[in-house]
Amino acid sequence: MTAQHGFTLDAVEWAAWLETVDPATLTPEQIEVLKESTPTALTSPYYLLLVHDVAALRERSRLFNRVMYAPRGLARADRELSTVAVSRINGCVYCASVHSRLYAQLTHRPETMQKIFDEGIETELNERERAIVDYAAKLTRDPEGATTADLVPLRQIGLSDQEILDLTHAVAMFAWANRLLQTLGEVVRPAA
Amino acid sequence: MTHADTADAIDAIVGITPDSRVAQIRALRPDAAGYAQGSYAALLEPADEAGLGRAERALIALRAALLAPSRAVAAHYRERLQSLGVEATTIAAVEHFPEGGAVSPQLAAILPHVELMTLRPHAAGREALEALEAAGLSARNIVSIAQLVAFVSYQVRLAAGLRLLQEEQQ
Repeated sequence: MTAQHGFTLDAVEWAAWLETVDPATLTPEQIEVLKESTPTALTSPYYLLLVHDVAALRERSRLFNRVMYAPRGLARADRELSTVAVSRINGCVYCASVHSRLYAQLTHRPETMQKIFDEGIETELNERERAIVDYAAKLTRDPEGATTADLVPLRQIGLSDQEILDLTHAVAMFAWANRLLQTLGEVVRPAA
Repeated sequence: MTHADTADAIDAIVGITPDSRVAQIRALRPDAAGYAQGSYAALLEPADEAGLGRAERALIALRAALLAPSRAVAAHYRERLQSLGVEATTIAAVEHFPEGGAVSPQLAAILPHVELMTLRPHAAGREALEALEAAGLSARNIVSIAQLVAFVSYQVRLAAGLRLLQEEQQ
């Protein structure tokens, strides 16, 4: 059963509202960019849609993979937490599903994700989670109104310049990702 | 290629000078900076425009930045449009759409979609894309527009975060 807010840690699928590129007609360049994007891209409606503009997808996939998976800097779980907060605010059920499961794999704390889904980002969190989620929320909702006061909680939990840069990249990346998934297609839930 | 085409857009928007502390912080993730600029080139200066010209792309980006909102990102696209030789009346019509004067039929279809994507992505539906198709845009054009608007949303958050790091140093 799905709660009224629609957010879930279960895997969901996604269907495009536009014609995707027929895999039989892919150019060598498109195949190369899809393979570089993610292992399942050659059969993914999302990637087979984005590959209409192959140059844009190449740059975006390279950016996404560096922002989310580059070594050192901000812990991967913290990056995933920020992306789930952004997705919860923007209402992107698909992104929240994928990245809440990645967070749960990294931390073994799916309950943190479930609380954010059920109660929203204002739910009770520990100091580190709170600081990361509040920064993500500020940049998502009011980028123009952000001030150095919004960095203070991040400094208090000990984040370095590089970690704040990594967090900013992750938050910004999901301003991007959410909008693609929300406006080019829809979530499909597996039959119960 | 002009200087404006090669300079890093985010550095220009935030006012990051090469020797500054924030430039050094950004340099810790050179790939992220490089692929963001690569995205800018692919979306705003594409080798193959596929029927969606540079001026039209910059007008879409300007509208997305104004709505986000980000004065700094909007100023960047306004300057870009001026350097591309776009008429001031066209720029004003897009900035104040739909009350700012006439825009092309294609832009008249695209600009409501820019607003939907920027401010209410959760409210988007299949019919929004059908309206774009009805205006003669291909699936490829619609994907490029979506990538462009979403990319501006990325730029706005990144520019805001870098501005905070800059202000923190002062």
